[in-house]
Amino acid sequence: MSRAVLQEVGLTLPLLPTTTVGSFPKPDYLLEARGKFARKEITRKDLDTLEKQATEFWIAQQEAIGLDVLVDGEQYRGDMVAYFADVMGGFEMGGLVRSYGNRYYHKPIIVGKVKRPGPITVDWWKFAQGLTKKPVKGMLTGPYTIMDWSFNDYYPDRKAACFALASEIRKEVEALVEAGAKIIQIDEPALSVRPEEIDFALEAMHVVTDDIPAYFITHICYGAFEFIYPKMLDLPVDNFDLEMSNSGLDLIGLFKKDPFTKDLSFGVLDVHSHAIETPAVVRERIEKALEVLQPETIWVDPDCGLKTRTVEEAQAKLRSMVAAVQGVRQTLGGR
Amino acid sequence: MEIILANHSSYPRVGASREQQRLRRAYAQRERGEISPEAFTQVQESLVAEVIEEQASAGCALLTDGQIRWYDSISHLAARLAHVEINGLLRYFDTNFYFRQPVITAKVERRNSLIVEEFRYAKKISPRPIKPVLTGPYTLACGSIRQTPAYRNLDSLVMDFSAALAQEVGMLAGAGAEVIQVEEPAILRHPQDLPLLQQALEPLNAARGAARLALYTYFGDATPVYEELQELPVQILGFDFTYAPRLPQKIAALGAPVTLGLGLIDGRNTRMETPEDVFPVLEKILPHVPEDAVYLNPSCGLEYLPRDKAVAKLRLMRELKEKFLQRRKG
Repeated sequence: MSRAVLQEVGLTLPLLPTTTVGSFPKPDYLLEARGKFARKEITRKDLDTLEKQATEFWIAQQEAIGLDVLVDGEQYRGDMVAYFADVMGGFEMGGLVRSYGNRYYHKPIIVGKVKRPGPITVDWWKFAQGLTKKPVKGMLTGPYTIMDWSFNDYYPDRKAACFALASEIRKEVEALVEAGAKIIQIDEPALSVRPEEIDFALEAMHVVTDDIPAYFITHICYGAFEFIYPKMLDLPVDNFDLEMSNSGLDLIGLFKKDPFTKDLSFGVLDVHSHAIETPAVVRERIEKALEVLQPETIWVDPDCGLKTRTVEEAQAKLRSMVAAVQGVRQTLGGR
Repeated sequence: MEIILANHSSYPRVGASREQQRLRRAYAQRERGEISPEAFTQVQESLVAEVIEEQASAGCALLTDGQIRWYDSISHLAARLAHVEINGLLRYFDTNFYFRQPVITAKVERRNSLIVEEFRYAKKISPRPIKPVLTGPYTLACGSIRQTPAYRNLDSLVMDFSAALAQEVGMLAGAGAEVIQVEEPAILRHPQDLPLLQQALEPLNAARGAARLALYTYFGDATPVYEELQELPVQILGFDFTYAPRLPQKIAALGAPVTLGLGLIDGRNTRMETPEDVFPVLEKILPHVPEDAVYLNPSCGLEYLPRDKAVAKLRLMRELKEKFLQRRKG
């Protein structure tokens, strides 16, 4: 159980800690400002001021809703890979590629040796943590996902690109821990897409997290977990943050066969649906998890980042989640 | 031996310039009701013409219409069949591309042609032969959600998709298609279903007339099932070599009774292949394949690349072919 790791890093959290996956919707004024900045109508400093304002808003919201472990909300990030590719050396922004329907994105190209230019997210983490007494997670995208979501003109193969990125991401992890972060989340949504590469993806995570005193979470979503489970339990992290509600909770079946051995951030809110889950629905989902997992190992959060919802939807969904958790805690406390 | 340069299937529909983004704007205008259906179709047709011209200029001998009108390779075909509704997004294999999942509510039936009109248009304006591309019955069925007692198992849905696609193959052949590509990436994930695929391809083969069927697999390693694939009732087999480092060896060892489509140019990555990447594989394979011709093509549809890189890959195929032939002569 990873409660021991939490204790080692000096954190005491309630049963079923509540958190979120990372991103929150950007308020309208920030979306507008990002457009203006792209058109060079406002300065970087102007945008920065509004990004800080939005971050303050979301920290206050998370406290008001009653979440236990907070995030900075990624108000200053666009795409979770392009954000890092933009600031790291060795990347060039590629042309447009279609993701679905009429949606396109600029896919980065690795054209040289990848290099962290210095702290990337540390100042934002410090800013967010300075606004609250609750722990704020350090949020990074993992090397496998950055590799998989980029073209590679430079490294001989995918594995080499992944390891080069892992060494650079590790430096950012060290800097976050140095700054005081106790919980670090390394997002690896792409991890399950090529089961044949799971071995080097695992090795790369060792490069990122080995011997660093922090509680590590990894977020993986929308994949065919059945192909990498239970192998993925070898990832050197303390907590897996998995999408559960949108996958029809079929992972529970896998866990019955091969017991889940880590802490689990259990996704209970469908981030692709406008519908607000009721506390009763969320509670049912948590109770499903309790059928196969010890309560001490469960965290509760949405399936994925909430940035695709409106501000109001995100708030309402999280309120339901916290209400449900409070109910379950009472029941568990009374048994 | 003739090395025929062929495009694979899809082609990027937007590029860097404003002009090259006109289809993206037209879709947005259509959503807002700001463009008539006729004007929208005109934009689509102009883009089909543009990508055909781009492929021809880059040296391709066998072209596609770039699947410019397709939402994705699953729902574009399935949505045209009766008793199919289109659901939410699902990741397309291991790509970062998402397709809309068909939901099958009752027995599927073909009401109208699926892509024959698209083929006729492309053929009319193209300076070179056009290869129509169909997603195969097995991959279509794997990508669908069965919500009807009519399809308790996958097999019956595969066979009904097969019946619909066989009619389409017949019409495409009648409309003048010389090579019809059937794509079955899903079979590499579920090789135990190869007998089912064989059964499902028979009606297509029976309907093909004078056209040749090209079965293309991709996004997986075909090496372990190479022999079984040879048994399928098709005249051309296309492979994605980027996933299959041991496939050249296997082909050299076992030979190839049918014409091959060599996907040696990575359609998923921007790195430009060098002669050192490609020539040793060609040297190894060519002595063991049918003597008349072999196709050289990207490993998969080029839509996974930005437009400038896609055309660069096609030009690269021409350069590599020319260098390879020169070297052989020398």
